[in-house]
Amino acid sequence: MDMISIRDIRKVYHIGTEKVVALGRISLSVAQGEICCILGTSGSGKSTLLNVMAGLERPSRGSVIIGGTDVTKYSEKQWALFRQKNIGFIFQSYNLLPTMTAVENVALPLAFRGVAKELRTGKAVKMLRAVRLGDRLLHRPTQMSGGQQQRVGIARAFVARPKLIFADEPTGNLDSKTGQEVMDLMVAMARKYGETLIIVTHDPEIAKYAERIITIHDGCKVSDESNPAAAGKKEEPES
Amino acid sequence: MKFRDMIAMSLSNLFHRRVRTVLTVMGVVIGTCAIIVMLSLGFGMRQSMEDMMKSMGDLTVVTVYGGGGSRGSGNLDDKALKNMQKLPNVTAITPVYYLDPSCVTVSCRKYQFSAMVYGVAMDTLKTFGFQAESGNLPGSDFKKTDILFGSESGYDFMDPKRQNDGMMDRTPDKNGNMPKPFVDLEKDKFTLSVNLPEDSTARKKDVKLNVLGVLAQDYSKNPNPSDCIFMDIDYAKELKAKYNKLNNVKSSESQDSYSQIVIKMDSIEAVPDAVQQITDLGYQSYSMESQRDAMEKQLRTIQMILGGLGAISLLVAALGITNTMVMSIYERTREIGIMKVLGCIVWNIRAMFLVEAGTIGFLGGAAGIGISYGISALLNSLAAKAATSGQEGGIFGMGGNISIIPLWLVFASLVFSTMVGLISGILPANRAMKISALTAIKQE
Repeated sequence: MDMISIRDIRKVYHIGTEKVVALGRISLSVAQGEICCILGTSGSGKSTLLNVMAGLERPSRGSVIIGGTDVTKYSEKQWALFRQKNIGFIFQSYNLLPTMTAVENVALPLAFRGVAKELRTGKAVKMLRAVRLGDRLLHRPTQMSGGQQQRVGIARAFVARPKLIFADEPTGNLDSKTGQEVMDLMVAMARKYGETLIIVTHDPEIAKYAERIITIHDGCKVSDESNPAAAGKKEEPES
Repeated sequence: MKFRDMIAMSLSNLFHRRVRTVLTVMGVVIGTCAIIVMLSLGFGMRQSMEDMMKSMGDLTVVTVYGGGGSRGSGNLDDKALKNMQKLPNVTAITPVYYLDPSCVTVSCRKYQFSAMVYGVAMDTLKTFGFQAESGNLPGSDFKKTDILFGSESGYDFMDPKRQNDGMMDRTPDKNGNMPKPFVDLEKDKFTLSVNLPEDSTARKKDVKLNVLGVLAQDYSKNPNPSDCIFMDIDYAKELKAKYNKLNNVKSSESQDSYSQIVIKMDSIEAVPDAVQQITDLGYQSYSMESQRDAMEKQLRTIQMILGGLGAISLLVAALGITNTMVMSIYERTREIGIMKVLGCIVWNIRAMFLVEAGTIGFLGGAAGIGISYGISALLNSLAAKAATSGQEGGIFGMGGNISIIPLWLVFASLVFSTMVGLISGILPANRAMKISALTAIKQE
């Protein structure tokens, strides 16, 4: 079953009188539980594609269907509610709230969903232990290293058990060793919880972690191939 | 998102920017203080005015003047009295008949009374609120010769044969005690006789007067019960008629009419109506209530000016709140973007900003109220000091509290300052709501 499927997505920016085509008729679908990488150089349109899939930008044409629901025409509020329940995010620059502790940051998506404080704190603590930050629960982002911050980001993306997790250059701000650790953790978590994970990156090394690599160039899909090396590592999901 | 979580997040945001929060709150504190203190001065003025009014006269009393044309007022005769008795909401009414001192002589031993004699409806005195210093006020069963002395009437008895020092000096001695008058109003016997022409050979007829008591001094009463004798109005008129007959004086209309008619209404609210109707009947009247009305209008203007001055500083504080919130949005653009991406609906973001702005207003209002009470107490103690050291209280007068904060003002200013906060927050909150999630998270 397809977790997300986009059809004939086209995105055109109007800059002054000039038309810039960021995406030209892209179609793709990602299956439930699949770990997929969208690979492309800067300016290839991969970020735009991610934004369209996450409802942060409206496509000029085409449709987005997530979990069987056509969300193309959703309003801003509908998207917000939809993201609350169905989508997790991991950002390049972590994007943790600086005034909050690790636990509060992780619990934030649950707070938006209206989960009671005790319950969401419990889930957040559990998730932070899962990313091996059980000893950093009450630290603020400024008191943690980049790798630790990104692990908090991962915990935050997984805590609400969404259908779909987007990771936008998740290792972009990390050194290669920490980057590898973070990627290992992220992929392991996705497999453990059976999440569908879409990683957007320009780095072919990162792409190797994915079971499937879709390459984008100048707003068009140039290749879509499976990566047996990563797929072989696939384990049976825990739950 | 739960409302409780929203409040908690707003408060934590305020706490994390505590220096700026405190400074902004201080702006509101000053604004609230300015309004409350200014208004409290107004209330203090109103209170002292009302106290002053009360000491000057009964607010429910209307006095109608006679005076046959000179005041542009009609003649106060029995017909006028009847018309006024018919007015609605009248509790008591008495004409005041001024008995000319040349008509009668009230004497005690060799001393003669030399002040006013008023004929009034004796049974209404109680209703008008006259108090007896000694003895009793008459009920409805008074006798014709019953009289009441004014509080100072003792000093009005003088020896007619001693021209210069016949009058008792009323200044207190070194110990502050008043000298004793020649007569004792309570124990001495008093007689009254109608004056005869100087060449008359007829014998003077003395009538024994029955002293019911002495009235207590009260400057708010009309007629003023100090240097006078109150007697029954019918008896006063009878004496006048007798004098006219003995002295062959023709009675004239203006001489027989009442000098004034005093009316007590059942409530202050009934006074303006009564005044209007009396004017319609063609008489001039005076009431403390109409005076009060005019003064109150003036006071309201003063109070509005004072409140306006306070409002200006609160307006500045409101701009401060808006400024703080706008700054806060610039700083938190990224944060807002993250929250939106994580699925926070825009309404929640807007509400959070409104809660923050409202909280600033509320805290400022609460602190402002506390400080205002302090300022108010300080002003009052300063005023009390000035009053005891013998200086005049100035326009605030009377030495009472010059600053009064009514309880409703406390609640009103709390609500008002919170509202000011919320209103100041609307613009920034709407702006926060419109921040694009995408540009916000891209911002480094």
